[in-house]
Amino acid sequence: MNQWLDDRLHISRLNDKFLRKAFPVHHSFFLGEITLFSLIVLIITGILLALSYEPSNSPVVNSFDPGTRAEPNMIPAAYHSALKINAMPFGDMLRRIHHWMANIMVAAAVIHMMRVYFTGAFKKPREINWWIGMLLLIFAALTAVTGYILPYDNYAYNTVSVIYAIVKSVPWVGDWLAQAAFAGRFPGEGIIPRIYGYHIMLLPGILLALTGAHMLIMIKQKHTQPQYAKRIAYKKIVGVPLSTQQTPIMLLLVLLFTGLVVLFSAFIPVHPIEHYGPPSAQPISGIKPDWYLLWVFGALAIIPGFELEVLGGIISAEFVGAMVFPGLIIGAMFAVPMLDRAKDNQYYAENPTNHPVRLAAGVAFMAMMIVLSVAGYKVELVQSGLLPEASANTILWILTIGVPLVSYFATLGIVRGIRALREADERDALAHAHADD
Amino acid sequence: MTRYKKQDPEMTRRRFVNAAMGGAAAVGTLGLVSALGGAKPVLRITPDKAPPRAGDILVHATAAKEGQIIRPSEITDRVIQAWPMGKDQDGNDVIRKAEPNNLVGVQRFRKDSFKVPGEGEHVELKLEGIAEDGIVVYSNKCTHAGCSPENYAKDTSKLFCSCHSGLYDPLQGCKVIGGPPPRAMPQLPIKVEGDRLVVTETFVSAPFGFLNNLDWETYLQRVKEILG
Repeated sequence: MNQWLDDRLHISRLNDKFLRKAFPVHHSFFLGEITLFSLIVLIITGILLALSYEPSNSPVVNSFDPGTRAEPNMIPAAYHSALKINAMPFGDMLRRIHHWMANIMVAAAVIHMMRVYFTGAFKKPREINWWIGMLLLIFAALTAVTGYILPYDNYAYNTVSVIYAIVKSVPWVGDWLAQAAFAGRFPGEGIIPRIYGYHIMLLPGILLALTGAHMLIMIKQKHTQPQYAKRIAYKKIVGVPLSTQQTPIMLLLVLLFTGLVVLFSAFIPVHPIEHYGPPSAQPISGIKPDWYLLWVFGALAIIPGFELEVLGGIISAEFVGAMVFPGLIIGAMFAVPMLDRAKDNQYYAENPTNHPVRLAAGVAFMAMMIVLSVAGYKVELVQSGLLPEASANTILWILTIGVPLVSYFATLGIVRGIRALREADERDALAHAHADD
Repeated sequence: MTRYKKQDPEMTRRRFVNAAMGGAAAVGTLGLVSALGGAKPVLRITPDKAPPRAGDILVHATAAKEGQIIRPSEITDRVIQAWPMGKDQDGNDVIRKAEPNNLVGVQRFRKDSFKVPGEGEHVELKLEGIAEDGIVVYSNKCTHAGCSPENYAKDTSKLFCSCHSGLYDPLQGCKVIGGPPPRAMPQLPIKVEGDRLVVTETFVSAPFGFLNNLDWETYLQRVKEILG
């Protein structure tokens, strides 16, 4: 059969070009694979969910609790279909797998980016792939957010109303933008079909295209080589080939972590739509975005309220907190490869401690994200008495700036300590080596 | 490098391809922009989406009692969420809940405890819009991100929004006294007629969902044109 295929598709050339691609042997290189496999599982479970989902917010009679003929119990069709999915055999579990997998995908992508950042793998010639990776992260978050809205329960309803308000806060064009994005003034008749289009067509299409580009560039440029490759064979590609050695490892990995996620989904409920109920005037207290957007929420919670009128447009705290500030953060992440001015191509993953400033900046950045995420719990912190109400904002602002500064200098200090010890060791070894002579 | 420049009276292949690609890109962009223009639907205002209007009656908004008329006797200082209920073209009752920003909160305080804010505070409190026995109605959508404020645990005369900790004082025209909201939640002037609360005019200033009073006035104008 190989011969038959080879005559038609020239498998042997494909084999030489792609299937023999060398994969570095190091566990940190699995993070990108986990992200990719999560995307695949998400697409499969997403297709299964789409088969039973009804993308409409028109009111229908709740078949589980129809009410009376005179006063039927009307709920949005989307919410009704989500209830029906829950009632299907393993339907609730399918929703949970989809939900957990989305969280895992973002988490794996974030850790994958941290690996790339701390080992300097974003350097020339891999800047383009860093930027594509950033776009992937942004679009993954957008896809996740649109996914939250689809069950159209009260939680989704509250979430989308806040997102609508944020889009509307863009000066000058906000009103048009929000109405164009959400099919009219919130909540228009077309909001669920619109979001459905985004979530199952537009955004996954973008994600798949970007993923394809990400992969092809990675195959073309080869992986950065781990440090051991430098010792084994300098300037040679070291690793195990995709076919047949890496493939069973990949299969094992995907089966193992998908199994883990299925186990999660069996026992840990997520987003209980029955608990939140259909959209209503009743607000949900303590509503929070997912962990990867909590920092934006935290920034919104501690930014003082203001409204500035500039040339007929209104620049509000909402806009600055939810658009300008995250824009700056994302812009800084985009700029990372441009801060490196090396002319030579980067072949080997670097030891983070050899680049203390980069390491410390990364640690400080993450410290800031964590502090801002904690600030997202301001109301809870005040209510539990951990923060005084009058000065909660001030304290959180001081922490937002102070903690990253402290972690920056602490990291520099620790790295300096490690290097001093290492050099002392080398001196020792050298002195003893001489003594042996 | 070639020594001789090729003399070609006609368009070169490269120039043709470039021009064709440029033309295609321009047409494509134009098409995309016009398609995007269609993404924003036309504003359709139906009676269930109209803002509160004079003559509307306030009904319960909470799921358990939705649509029941609010009686003055059940109102305390605990905020009760309500929808305005008006009439459609055929004279049938219609609850205006398709526009979530129509959600209002009903409360009762002692009539003499209200304090009209000063000129410079940009807050309007119409005392004649407060019922004889101190029933006051405000929009129940926080002007920051549109969550619904509830009675503040530490001081029930205040309204607290748990989303980003906005704090309002209903005794002073619901002006902002804490947190990030940019504006007061506007008052909805009402009167008591028999056993029901009747709206006397729409929100005194822009509720949540409108950028400023100008935006709000323009919207009211549009509503008037469409619904008459």
